Order: sequence, then C-alpha cells, then structure tokens
Amino acid sequence: MKRTTFHALAWLAAMASVASAADAPAVKLEAFPPDVQLTTNRDRQKFIVVATRGDGVTQDVTAAAKVTLANPALVRMEGNTLYPAADGATTLALEYQGQTVTLPVTVKDATVERPISFKLDVMPVFMRSGCNTGSCHGAARGKDGFNLSLFGYDPDGDHHRITHEIGFRRVNLALPRESMLLQKPDGSVPHTGGKRFAPDSEYYATVLRWLEAGVPKDAPEVATPTALELYPPKAVLEGQDTKQQFIARARYSDGTDRDVTNLVVFLTNNDNSAPISADGLVTAAARGEAFIMARFATHTVGSQVLVLPKDLQYAPPTTPPANYVDELVNAKLQRIRVLPSDLCSDEVFLRRATIDITGLLPTIEEYQSFVADADPAKRAKLVDRLLERKEFSEIWALKWANLLMVKTTNEVSYKSMFLYSNWLTNQISSNVPLNQMVQNLLSANGGTFKNPATNYYQIERDTLKTAENVAQVFMGIRTQCTQCHNHPFDRWTMDDYYSFAAFFAQIGRKQGEDYRETIIFNSGGGEVNHPVGARRMAPKFLGGPTPDVNGKDRREVLVKWLASPENPFFATSVANRVWAHFFGLGIVEPVDDIRVSNPASNPELFQALGAKLTSYNYDFKQLVRDMCNSQTYQRASQANASNADDTKNFSHSKIRRIPAENLLDCLTQVTEIQEKFQGLPLGSRAVQIADGQASNYFLSSFGRSPRTTACAGEATTEPTLSQALHMINGDTLTRKIGESKRLQKQLDAGQKPAQVVETIYMACLSRKPSPDEMQRLDALLAAEPNPRNAVDDILWAVLNSREFLFNH
Amino acid sequence: MNARYLAHLCVVLGALVVCGGSAVHAAVPQLNGMSPYGAQRGTEVEVQFSGDRLADAQQILFYEPGITVAHLEAAAPNAVKTKLVIAADCRLGLHQLRIRSASGVSNLRTFSVGALPEIKEVEPNNDFTQPQKINLDTTVNGVVENEDVEYFAVEAKKGERITAELEGLRLGLTFFDPYVAIFDTKRFELARSDDAPLVKQDCIASLVAPEDGTYIVQVRETSFAGNGSCLYRLHVGRFPRPTASLPLGGKAGETLDLQWLGDVSGARTEKVTLPPAVSSTFGIFAKDERGISPSANPFRLSDLNNVLEVEPNNGLPEATACEAPIAVGGVISQPGDVDCFKFAAKKGQVFDVRALARAMGSPLDTVVNIYRVGGALVAGNDDSGGPDSFQRFTVPEDDTYVIQVQDHLKQGGADYVYRVEIAPVKPVLTLGVSERSQFVDIVAPVPQGNRMAFLVNAARADFGGDLNLEFKDLPPGVTVETLPMLANRGDVPVLLSAAADAPLAGALVDIVGRHADPNQKIEGRLRQRTSLVRGQNNIEVWNQYAERLATAVTQTVPFKIDIVEPKVPLVRDGAMNLKVVATRAEGFKAPIAVAMLYNPPGVGSSGSIVIPEGQNEAVIPLTANGGAEVNKWKIVVLGDATVGDGPITVASQMATLEVSEPYLAFNFQSAATEQGKPTDLVIKVEKRKDFEGPAKIELLGLPNEVTTEPREITKDSTELIFPVKTTANSPAGRHKTVICRAVIVASGEPISHTLGTGELRIDTPLPPKPNQPAAAPAPMPAAAAPMPPAEKRLSQLEKLRLERQQAKAAAKSAGEAK
Repeated sequence: MKRTTFHALAWLAAMASVASAADAPAVKLEAFPPDVQLTTNRDRQKFIVVATRGDGVTQDVTAAAKVTLANPALVRMEGNTLYPAADGATTLALEYQGQTVTLPVTVKDATVERPISFKLDVMPVFMRSGCNTGSCHGAARGKDGFNLSLFGYDPDGDHHRITHEIGFRRVNLALPRESMLLQKPDGSVPHTGGKRFAPDSEYYATVLRWLEAGVPKDAPEVATPTALELYPPKAVLEGQDTKQQFIARARYSDGTDRDVTNLVVFLTNNDNSAPISADGLVTAAARGEAFIMARFATHTVGSQVLVLPKDLQYAPPTTPPANYVDELVNAKLQRIRVLPSDLCSDEVFLRRATIDITGLLPTIEEYQSFVADADPAKRAKLVDRLLERKEFSEIWALKWANLLMVKTTNEVSYKSMFLYSNWLTNQISSNVPLNQMVQNLLSANGGTFKNPATNYYQIERDTLKTAENVAQVFMGIRTQCTQCHNHPFDRWTMDDYYSFAAFFAQIGRKQGEDYRETIIFNSGGGEVNHPVGARRMAPKFLGGPTPDVNGKDRREVLVKWLASPENPFFATSVANRVWAHFFGLGIVEPVDDIRVSNPASNPELFQALGAKLTSYNYDFKQLVRDMCNSQTYQRASQANASNADDTKNFSHSKIRRIPAENLLDCLTQVTEIQEKFQGLPLGSRAVQIADGQASNYFLSSFGRSPRTTACAGEATTEPTLSQALHMINGDTLTRKIGESKRLQKQLDAGQKPAQVVETIYMACLSRKPSPDEMQRLDALLAAEPNPRNAVDDILWAVLNSREFLFNH
Repeated sequence: MNARYLAHLCVVLGALVVCGGSAVHAAVPQLNGMSPYGAQRGTEVEVQFSGDRLADAQQILFYEPGITVAHLEAAAPNAVKTKLVIAADCRLGLHQLRIRSASGVSNLRTFSVGALPEIKEVEPNNDFTQPQKINLDTTVNGVVENEDVEYFAVEAKKGERITAELEGLRLGLTFFDPYVAIFDTKRFELARSDDAPLVKQDCIASLVAPEDGTYIVQVRETSFAGNGSCLYRLHVGRFPRPTASLPLGGKAGETLDLQWLGDVSGARTEKVTLPPAVSSTFGIFAKDERGISPSANPFRLSDLNNVLEVEPNNGLPEATACEAPIAVGGVISQPGDVDCFKFAAKKGQVFDVRALARAMGSPLDTVVNIYRVGGALVAGNDDSGGPDSFQRFTVPEDDTYVIQVQDHLKQGGADYVYRVEIAPVKPVLTLGVSERSQFVDIVAPVPQGNRMAFLVNAARADFGGDLNLEFKDLPPGVTVETLPMLANRGDVPVLLSAAADAPLAGALVDIVGRHADPNQKIEGRLRQRTSLVRGQNNIEVWNQYAERLATAVTQTVPFKIDIVEPKVPLVRDGAMNLKVVATRAEGFKAPIAVAMLYNPPGVGSSGSIVIPEGQNEAVIPLTANGGAEVNKWKIVVLGDATVGDGPITVASQMATLEVSEPYLAFNFQSAATEQGKPTDLVIKVEKRKDFEGPAKIELLGLPNEVTTEPREITKDSTELIFPVKTTANSPAGRHKTVICRAVIVASGEPISHTLGTGELRIDTPLPPKPNQPAAAPAPMPAAAAPMPPAEKRLSQLEKLRLERQQAKAAAKSAGEAK
C-alpha cells in the first residue's frame, strides 16, 4: 500500500516537473452536474465542463467544448443551460482536446406547470437577496418594523408576518405589483436596504407569481431540500484572471432536483486569491488557497480552489515518505508547489519530542546517550520510550480536564474534582481506548465520588449546554448558534440542536449521603421542546439517524453512536486535536470548530488520521507514534525560500511556546526546586493539578486554561508582557534559581564554571554551547569573581532565552 | 445563706493559697480532646484529657459500663491525667463520655475501645519504600497532616485475611475523609477504600494475601486535605470484616441464624441470640477464631417477625409470600436484581412501609414500590430523608399487594442487604432537650443550694395529647419540679434544685415521657444529639445521640436569682416589667445576665438584660401580643455570670405568670385639625373587667409639635377625650400611629395595656382667597360663640355636616336679607 502510493506520487511528481506549460493538453475531462434531470416546464439545468491538465491544473472549458445532444427534440439548449421540451431520456456529449464525457439527460412532465411554493421558491429569494440576514430583517427584532426569521429558520412564521402581521400592508392581492413586498426591494419606494432586485429579475417574477396566486401557504407535505451540490468540487487555477464558473444544484426529499445557481449565496473565504461573483464566477487573483461556499436553505457546501502563478518552476522532493502522514502532507505541498524544510537535528528532535510527549525536558543523561546513539532507528525508539512514561498520560489528562472544565465551585467539591482528574489520568494511563473512555464518561451513572466520571454532569447541569459541550468536545462541532436559528455557515438546524439535546433531557440528579456528592442517574423522564411551535423533539444523532430510545438510557444510546465509526465526526475531531498538540495547529483550526465553511487544510490527511485512529481501536498512542515518526514532525523549524509563507500545510516545524503547566514543570526540573500546589503532596507537578480553580500566578500569566468553557482555545500560548516581566523579575524564577543547589553541588564537586555552563546548556536547551557562545561566556565567567553568581546569571539568561521558552 | 457563701469562699481562698494561682472556680469544663482516643480492652491505659477549666475535674461520666477510672488527677486547667481500666468484656467501639468537675459537666466526646494491641504512628512513614513496620493484628493511632501520606508494612502468609479498617471521621474530631489502600511491594494496588457505607466516610480495605510476603497499607486524606486534627485509629488485622448481615434485624430475645456477607473470605452463618430488650443502637460484632471486627454491624431489634426472600422473586407473580405485619429481608445480589414480597391486605388498613438499608450500613439505595398483584402501581418511594425509602400505605381495596425492592441505580452485590418493615402505624414519642445556642448540647449542673432549669421537648409521631415526664437516677439531694406537657405544646420547663448539703456527684438522668392517659401505653425516652462534626453551612456530618441527660451537683456558686412573682396578670397587647433579684455572696460583684428560659406563646421578652455589676436587681420587659395564650404559665429565669474563669448558669424558682384578657378596649374616633389649631381626640371606652381606682391613660405616638396631657378614667368611664394642641409646625398628614397606654394598678402593681390605634389628621390651612382681603377676620369663632354648648360631642363628619348646614342657613338668611 505504502509502496503503491509512493509510486503514484513519484509519477505525479514527474508529470508535474515536465508539464508546467500552460498549453499542456488536458488529461481528463469532466462535466457537471454528473446527470441532468429536468422535471416540469419550469425546470432548467446549467452545465459546466472542466478539463484537468497533467499537472493537475483545471480549466473551465464550457465555452470551448463541443456539445452534442443525442435527441435535440427533448431538450432546448440556450448557451450552457438546458430546458425541457418533451418527456424522454437522452444524452449530452461533450468533447475537448480529444477527451470526451457524456451526461445522461432525462425529461419528465415537460409540459406540466410546477405550482409556486412559498418555502421552495419565495424563501430562497429572501436568502439570496439578503433580506433575512442578521443585519437586515433577520435581526432578532427585525428592521424598520419588519421581521423575518434569521436565515429562514421559521418559514411558517415568515409567511404569517408577511401576510397577516399588519393587515394587508405588505401584500396587495388586488394589485400584486403594488405590494410593499415588491415595491421595497425593487427600489420603487424608499427602502433602507436599497434596491435588492429589479422588476425584470427572476426574483421579482417569483415573488410576483406567489402574490398573484394569492400568497398560498405550502401544504404540510411540501418537499424539503435534502442536499446541495456545488460544482466543480475542486479547482486549480493557473495565472491571474483565469475564470471558473461554479454551479449549484439542490436535491429534494421528493426525489427531484433543481438548478439553484441563481438562488444560492456564493461565498469565498479568501477574496485575495479567489473572489467569487454573486452568480458563482471565480476569477483567479493572488497565489493561494481558497474555499468557495454555496449556501441554500439549511445547507452549506464548499469546494477547494487553488490559485497558482503562471510558469512556476518547481521540482518536487525525492525523499521517500516515512508513512502515510508524509504522503498526504507531501501531496498537498506538491499541489501548492511548496518544498518542505529539511529534517531537524537529533538534538532538536530529542527536545521537541520529549517536551511534546512528556511535558518535560530531556535530562543531560538522556541527551548524551541519545546523541551518542548510532542506531538509525533511535528516533522511533525514543518515541516509544517516551510514550510509555506516566507523564504522557498526565499531559492528556490535563488536556481533557481543560475541555471537561474540571474545576471546583460552590457546588462542586475539591474531592470531586480530585477524583475526576485522577479518573481521567487512570483512563489514559491504563490505555483505555478513547471511544471507551468517552462512553464511560458520557453514560456514567452513580455518585460523583464512587464513579468520578459522573462529574461531567455535575459540572454542567444545563441540558442544552451539556449537549453543546458534547458536540464541541467530542465532535468538534459548535452548535451554539443553532439554539436560536439555523446555522448560517454549516448544515445544522434548530431541529438538529434540540433533538440532539433531547439525549440529555433525562439526567436525574440527587444529593448523595455525603452532602458533597451528587448522584447522577437516568430519571427516565423529561423532554426537550422546540422553541418554535413547542414540538417535542425525539432524540436524534447530530448528522445521524433517529435511534430507538424507548425504555433505554438515552445517554447510553447516544454514546454507542457518538464514540463509534458510525459517527463521522468523532475519530477525525479527536485525531485532529492530537495532531494540533504535536504540530501547533490543527488540520482544521480551531480544532473544535469543524464546519463546512472552515474546511480542513488537508482533507485527505484529516480523514486518514480519523480512519487510522478507528483502525487502531481508538488507541491514540499509535496515532502519536505515526505523527512523531513522520518526517513532517521531524522537519526543521527554519523555513526555506519556497515555504516561508506557508502557515498551514506543515512544510516546516512550527515554533511553539511551551504550555504554561509544562513550562513550570521544566523550570522545576532544571532547578530541582519543587513547587507546592494546593491540595497535592510536595513534589507534584503542575500538570497534576486537579482543580482548575487552584490559584497560581505563574500558570495564570502563562495562559493556563481557566476551564470556564469547553473551548480548546482557552489554554493559550500567546506571549505577553507580563510573562516576560515575570520571567525576568518574578519570584518564580528568582526563587528557583536562588534556592537551587544544583549548580553549587557541581561547583563543590570541583567542576570548572565552564563545565557547569555546559551542563546548563545541555539541561535547558539539549545542546552544548557553540564555540562562539562559549567564547563570550568565558569572558563573563572571567569577569565575575564569585563563580556561583556567574553560573546563576548564565542559568537565568538561558531560562529567559526564547530558545528555552519555545519548543522549536 | 450568705454565711454559707462566705464559708465556701473562704475554703476556695484557702485552696487558692495552696494551689498557688489556679482558678478560684473552674466553671463549666470544656473537653476538647484526649490522648489516646482509644485503647485495647482488657488493658489499663493512661489517657490524658485536654480542654479548658478542668482543674477541678472529679469524674469521667461514661454512658455505658466497661470502662472504669482507676486514677484521676486534675493536673492543670487544661489537662486531666487518668488511668482507665478497660474491662476484658467491654463492648468494642465508641463509648460516650463527659468530664464532671466540681463546678460542671463537660460536652460529650467518644472513646474508642478496640480488641487489638495498640501502637503509635512513627513519622517519617511517608515513603512507600520506607514504611513503618507493624505486626498484623495491630491498632495504629496516628494523624494525617496536610498533604500527608503514611505507609505501614505488614507481613502476611498466603491465604491470610488482611483487613484495614480506619476510624477517622468516627472519632468525631473534624471533617476528615480518610482513604486506605493496600499494595504489594511492587506497588500494585490490591484493595482500596475511600468511603464504605458501613462506616460512612471512613474506610475498610480487605484482601486475602495472594502470597507470603509484605503488604503495604497506605493511609491518607482522600484529596490530601488532612490537618493536625485528622487523627485516626487504623485497625490492621486478620479479623473478619463482613460488610453486611442477613437478616438486618430480629425480635428481641430470639435466636436466629445470621449470615455474614461481604467478607473477603466468603460468607458464613452464625447462630446469634438477640438481647431481650429493644434498643435503638444495637449492633453485632462479627467474630471468628482470627479475631473480631473493630466495629459492629448495625442490627435492628423490633417486635416483628422476619421473612427472607426466596429467589426467584424478581417479578410480581413469583413474589415471596408473607403476612403483614412483617419485616422482609434479602439481598439485591446483582445489578438489575429486583426482589418482591406479597401479602394480603384489607381495604382501609394503613401500613408504614419502611426500608432499612443505608441506615444499617448497606450500599443499597432502596427504591420501594407497592403494586397490586395484578400489576397496578399503588405507591412508591425512593428517598425519605436519606437514601432509605419510607411510604405510608393506605390499602385502597381488599387485594394481595406486592412490595418491590430494588437499587436506585439498578446496581447490586453480595452485601446489598435490606430490611423492609411492613407494620401498622405506631405512635412514637422521642424526647429531647432544647439547646440554648445551636449545636451546644445541654447539660444540667446544679450548684449546691441552687437551681438549674432546661426545657424538655417532645416529638410526637402519630399521636397527640398531654405528656408526663419522669426523671430517674437524679443525683442524691436533687429534686425536680416540672409540669405536664400540654397537648398543644412541644416543650415544658424542668427545674432541678439541689439541697445545700447535697454531695458533689454526677449522674446520667433517664428521662421518661408517658402519655397522660395511662390507657395509651405510649412511652418515649431522651435522644439528645451532640453534633460533633459539621460540614459547609453547618451540615451535620457526624453526631452522637445520648440517651440520658448529664447532670451533677456542683459546688456552691456565689449568686442566686429569684423572680419577684408578679401579683397582676400580663394582659394581651400589654406589657410588664418582670423583676429579678439576685442574692450575691459577699464580694461577688460580677454582672449577671438574666433571660427567660422560654417565653409563653405570644409573649416576648428581652434577651439582653443584665443585673449590673454590684447590683441586685433588674427588670425583664415582657410584652404580650393580641394572640397571647391566656393561661397561668410557669416561668423560669436563667442567670449567667462569670465565676472564676468561666460561665456559670443558675435558674430562678418556677414562678407563675398569668396571661389574661385586657381590662379595657378603646375605640378611637378620627380626629382632624389644621396646623396651629387644637382639636379633641375622642375615644370610646369599653370595660371588659372591673378594676379598682383610676386608670392612668397616656396618648402616645403623636407627631412632633403635637401635645396633650395624660388623663384618668375609672371603671365607669365610657368616653375619654384628649384635647390635642398643635402648632404651625406640626407636620401635616394622616398620623395613624396614635396609641394609648392605659395603666391600671392592682395589688400595688401596674397592669399596662397598649390600646390603639387611632388616627390624627393635620391639614395645612387653605391659602386666603386672592381677591379677598387677608385681614378679614374669620367670622366663624364669632358665629360659633353664641352657639349653645353642644350636648353631644360631634364627630368629624357631623361637624362638617353642621358647618354645611350653617353655611346654607347663613346664605339663605343673607339672600332673604337682600
């Protein structure tokens, strides 16, 4: 498998190096949509043709392609739009540079009129024209006295407000064109929002048709959009001003589809590289990557667009990849024509991996033996050794504790949190598979002391917030917006939100015999109602089916799906969190905001990591091994000319400030002066602090997570002035250096100051001082008569250096 | 009397010289702790008690036999050295005790009696690799400091049972949540225990040694939050430690087969003969050839027969049959297990269905549901004041009913035992002693020739009526005075008096309450709570319940107080000054705080009255509201003074306070005037009771710049008029707080009434009409002057009417004149 991929890549690389000319022939021709279905006389379908060159560059050749309809009697064609003429099936053949592609075309009910529908025809006009956005009538209190539901989450309510809220002010059935619903947007009467569409537009015609029909309300069984397709799915544009048309097609619950290119809202996440017009035309601009999105009804979909400069000289690297991580990262780098940095030195790798895996620095002995080791597999062996250490579990217990908001409050005792934190550490150190751990956590019943996992439901007691947290922590999905309206940039609706929350509606809580303990149990009663219409929501997996929960503990039903391969979000989101720890950046970033409009920088890698985690039976140590053994992880942090601007494709190692807890532990390790943390025996390390509430100035100023929300971003590593001042002047470092006996012992043992300085470098930076550094240090040592003062000063300087504070 | 005080003082002064500075009078002793907190039975042990005001300690009062004091030496105000002899057959576990001194009785503490040899923890023992070596079958006395971890090493042979049971919270010192674990030398944790239902927050870790070798016992606070008060007694041994018994109860006096469950060595059965009398604190100690459990398994004694479950009984049809009243028992032996019992019942029968599980140390959190045998749910309960269930069940129809027992979390295990009593409603009487300040339990030391009083309260469950109290085992020379507790009252005052020559002695008094109707055989005893450990917000975590009241005859104190019994009643809506006089020994000048022991219903009294230093009397103002219960109440006043280095409390005699209806009722008429003008405030007087002589009436609550004079009325008066003067500065408005104080004097004592309320309206004068010369004098006085003096005093309304009539008449006459 690995070999095949490698060969394929090598081939691709070869192709890329030769076929960089713009006039290179197309090697692949695609037409979109893949089939055409025309239903009723109001239907139509636009098509596009995309050619792909050998180097992966795509071209919109719709105009240049030769189009042949097998039976022109069935279909009328205007430009690249097909209209129904007569019922039947035929094909559309397309040819370009000798490449061909054929689309099946079927026509049904060609002479049948499709009745106007408020939900299917009129509501999309509001969305497309921006009427129901938050800045306009979609605002909570509407605009200028007229309120529409935000992004159309409540069509029935909108119908009521348009037709009945203020008598017949908004609609005029006798003279439909005189309706304010048309006069405002067409600009014929003053409108704060300006002119939205012209009287000769299709949108005007649609609304007029609905008014002329007598503003009918849809039958309850009207079809709903079930999917949105955006074509082409991927585009690589070469050279400025190259254009690519995008088209969108909606699929409905009754099996029909419609070309909604003129009804969707097109968006781009990078205007600099790939601006898109309202009609879906992308024009290439600066080099870069962009994500093109289309929004329609409750659906948002996207396509990746890459913009490359013309005539770029690029020769892909030839080093074989270490594993699938490298294959996928390299493939992406190749697509964007970026060269990765070289591998880092052994010294750098030792320090980087030790800090990342254990949260501590390598000892001098570890440094010396690793550097001296001639085994070519020594890096992999180091990773294996480090993974077996208890510190590894503690780092991950800390990360989970941050996400699970392990923290004492007036209602939550220290004992609870201490037990909860220990439970997390135990789960990880005893290699409980992640899916099992999550199942243990979320389906936990019993006392918060006896079964500490139940603390999950003691810390957060609100049903809706619990559901939001579960989605965010275990699926990386933020559903908060959908409490009040359908998600504007993702697929989630209010129905999804409340039916997911229904899984947590039956959590019973009662006080235990010890007043500090709460007993969590399945109460078997309680429901969640939709705020619009007070419908009782049946529990439904987020993005999944509606399971049978009758007579069962709803949480048990949920976790069986949640932490399983059937849930497409669990493994990928967890793997992405692990990735972000080792690379300083998620493949989806932020790691807990996975949504259509925030796509993965490398979707294949994102999926592959999730699939691997599943195939490892959710043993994430294996995943860590894959990551740390990849060349991608082992790259130097120095950028080269090609990848200097790359910030998200892992072409070079990212320099990261050591997280607060680890940094304090490293300082303790170097100075051998133990910290005293409240509620823990002397000698405990900062990562073992159970209670997020325990105060520690150092940790707070260095961005320890306050554990107030389930957001991954709560723990920060952004440098601040107070951090710098605390390192320079603060009591932590002053005290530790002042009290440390380490250097004194070395001097007492007869070591020369220069030797001591060397050990400082090895202990703090995992390297020896360079000759240049040593020369200047010697001068300092000579100038200070008290050797202890001199070495203390040097230790202080090293600990204050960026090289120490950062993992590089 | 004074001479006696003097003599006593001389003795004390003599002692002062001898002792060279120790306190004159030690006052109420305070017991803070002891060292050690327990001992092995069958040994003699030196125990040092520590506290305050212990210099004159004379006795350790034990509530149970088994421990005797061989030697007691009150060495210093803060320490008492004793030698205790623990009988070989002394009951194991906690023994309640108090210290009695010559001047008082201390608070309650417990002393733990064990069966194993005792040693002390030796620090440092915080390193796993350097544990303190101890023998198996040892009790270690130690302390868990903040963030402290202790390790003990024991040697055991393969197959030997090693149990570590720790007494921490149960010592009743502080909120201590201990944790015990047993490791092998390779640090593998073989057993651990944070909380064990049988011993609450304390722990029991048990295992059968898998190999010959060393085992390490770890002791710490669960979350490293220990402190210097976290003392513990760790029993490490081979003794049996079943965590449950089946059945959990039985009939007093019967012999039954008791199954011991939950021991690591497996279950076994033992024949047990129960004691002949029902006791609420009974427990059974498991023992075998290897030892005896350090603490008892609670066991319920009652008059109910037992029926144990017969599996399968998970569904209603296969329910184990029984006949109510009955106590059913069983084990929820595995997760999901459900036990059912069925019995026939007649419509209208009422049963109390009470589950006993957690209260008996079972891990089970019961849910009890009652079904008709056909399947219809009739009643059910999960928790009732604790994890155990209680349900009063009124039988709706003649039918067979099924009691279904399960765990709240559908869990189960070998020791998930339960007992469900299905019994007719039975009246229960429990007595208590009302605390004067929260969480300070009452003791009743009576100084020689003096008095002490307290309130006995009663909780009557499922009955009503008057109660009589009996006091048994009073110390010699002490007499008791009390009253029947009325049906509508929850407490009654009790006065103890000691003869002047009563010998100094302590006693635990058995208080028995009985229904006043001898046909109702309802009897209850004292259950006095001592709250030893409390958590956040004073949540009670560990209590002791004493079944007798600690009292003592103490040495004379230099003061005595008496109520000057009022000769007149306190009337509803009235007030009275209750005079209290102190008799002081010569030289005793300290202020004496006096307060009512209790206030009769509807009566209020000041709680901050002090007989000032060197003075001999004070008055306690009493007030009665309109709803005060009319009766002749027995009242007692307590006097607190600092004698020597601590507080001493004595009681007055029991005096009678009559609360009666008022003598008078006043009906106020509204009065109105303008600023600067006088008016009359008229009150209709209604006499309710005859009285002698004049009653002095004062009008109170008048606004500023409004004055009047006191008036007098007699029993024949029907009306009372207060001429009220105002000034131009009297505040305008409706003043609704006008009241009268009426004082009738009878038997030379005032009977003060507060009567009201009335209203006085003061208006601002109308501004002069603009087109009218301001100088024009008001004609009204002139017009009014010739009017004949009114026969009848007019009300405000009548006055207005009259004015209007006069104005009309004047207008008419003017018109006619034209």
